[in-house]
Amino acid sequence: MKGILANFNREFRAYFFSPLAYIVAALLLLVNGVVFWLIVSYLNDPRASIGAPLELFFGQTVYFWLVLLFVAPVLTMRLLSEERRSGTIEVLMTAPVTEGQVVVGKYLAAMAFYTFLWLPTLAYPGLLAYYGEVDWGPVAAGYVGVLGIGSLFLSIGVLASALTRSQLLAAILSFALLIPLFTFGLLENLFNSESLREVFSYLNLWQHMEEFGKGVVDTRRLIYYLATTALFLFLSARALESRKWR
Amino acid sequence: MIEAQDLTRRYGDFTAVAGISFTVNEGEIVGMLGPNGAGKTTTLRMITGFLPPTQGHLTVGGRDLFTDPVAARREVGYLPENVALYPEMRVAEYLWYRAMLEGMSRADAKRRIPEAVTSCILQEVEKQIIGTLSKGYRQRVGMAAAILHNPKVLVLDEPTVGLDPKQIIAMRELIRELGREQTLLLSSHVLPEVELLCDRVIIIDRGRIIAEGSPQELRDSWLGNTLIRVELKEAVPEAMEVLGGLAGVRAVEAVAGDGGRFVLECWPKSDPREKVFRAAVENRWVLLELTEERASLEDIFVRLTTQEEPGVPEAGEEEVVS
Repeated sequence: MKGILANFNREFRAYFFSPLAYIVAALLLLVNGVVFWLIVSYLNDPRASIGAPLELFFGQTVYFWLVLLFVAPVLTMRLLSEERRSGTIEVLMTAPVTEGQVVVGKYLAAMAFYTFLWLPTLAYPGLLAYYGEVDWGPVAAGYVGVLGIGSLFLSIGVLASALTRSQLLAAILSFALLIPLFTFGLLENLFNSESLREVFSYLNLWQHMEEFGKGVVDTRRLIYYLATTALFLFLSARALESRKWR
Repeated sequence: MIEAQDLTRRYGDFTAVAGISFTVNEGEIVGMLGPNGAGKTTTLRMITGFLPPTQGHLTVGGRDLFTDPVAARREVGYLPENVALYPEMRVAEYLWYRAMLEGMSRADAKRRIPEAVTSCILQEVEKQIIGTLSKGYRQRVGMAAAILHNPKVLVLDEPTVGLDPKQIIAMRELIRELGREQTLLLSSHVLPEVELLCDRVIIIDRGRIIAEGSPQELRDSWLGNTLIRVELKEAVPEAMEVLGGLAGVRAVEAVAGDGGRFVLECWPKSDPREKVFRAAVENRWVLLELTEERASLEDIFVRLTTQEEPGVPEAGEEEVVS
């Protein structure tokens, strides 16, 4: 536990010393702000179809996904690759901590910073509540989706970072892993076979977010995120351990 | 404190450490000496638990590194060769992080960090960002972090490499200070340093231990063979034979050149200079030079670790090679 905590603390603080994290934060805020403004102004038009702005906000614009696909690699690329490049890994792995503790500590730090990045968006439902009525259930569900999918994406980023000593390679690798993961789900309609279609629909992250935005919290989705996160973190710990056998 | 049996480490087909065995007793300062690439760092990395040995058995502070790695790592403080630190952290923050990483309680950390800062003379830079520190200070930060948790064994990999002469002296003083209370294993490729600091020296080359003993023992067994440099004014063909026949002379070697210069290798504890002089007088040679050359420990080290070197003395080899 202490090993996890020590890594978490260091890593979480390190985000605030990294200019890249501020760029990511600014980008996320900018894109979310613009998207929110566009949605609100679209719905303001009397001719628009009726919809809840936050339902559209969560995952129903391509910007949401573009930002997420960019944020996860950038937030995680440094975590393990930099330890290996700079050699601090030597001190880290001669301390009485296990590879698993290191990986989990760092993942949690990325997760915490990611959550922190989303906090300002709470202003949007706040604004809406000031001028009208907000159905808080779907909003909460939307955030569950944001965190769940974020967790999956970040764990993939951690794995990529464990596989190389170059931050750039780690970012490219996690991006390369995230793209198929994200697009697979969109292929659902390409298949005629009912069972194949179901598999792809299960993986359809866009659809997941659509459900969350409507306020549907399906435990299958949550289990999917938790299981994949656990799997990728496990693989990261093994990758970190692999130095021993080379 | 450290017991290594038949330690072997291979990287693919390359054998970095080939079955070395040694012990480090409590309170001892042991130096591991070898040229670059001899396997020092690999050996130290195995002791600190960073790399598992391909073969062999290793215990530190009574803990087996294979069956109980986390507990064994707790017994060791480690200063790696390239002291890698997080440049964005302040010194005090970094030490706190390391204390937490070692699993120390907050109370212990609060007590031990100032102690470590004092013994490594870091008071002035405690609040400074590590990225702005000089190499000497970084080395000391690494050292402070290594001793934080009161390890039973302190392992230092090339602790003075990359420091300026003043920093080297300060670092050596610090090591000697720490060595009063702590078991210490350090590696170096600088011989005088090891001679200065260590109770015992292990010389390794190409992954094997080639000599072991206190600096004095090593000198006695390896420096026994004095060299004598002789120069005659004119080349004398029979000089080689005459000189070789003198009592106390083990071998004669002609130095390339005009044929009048020789190097005599003597048996341990013999000084045939007088005999050389008398032989010169008897044969009416004009003697231009007659000098005794005591090989330094440095020469021994070079000879031990360079196989091509001719005339490597065999005498005493069996006693020191383990």
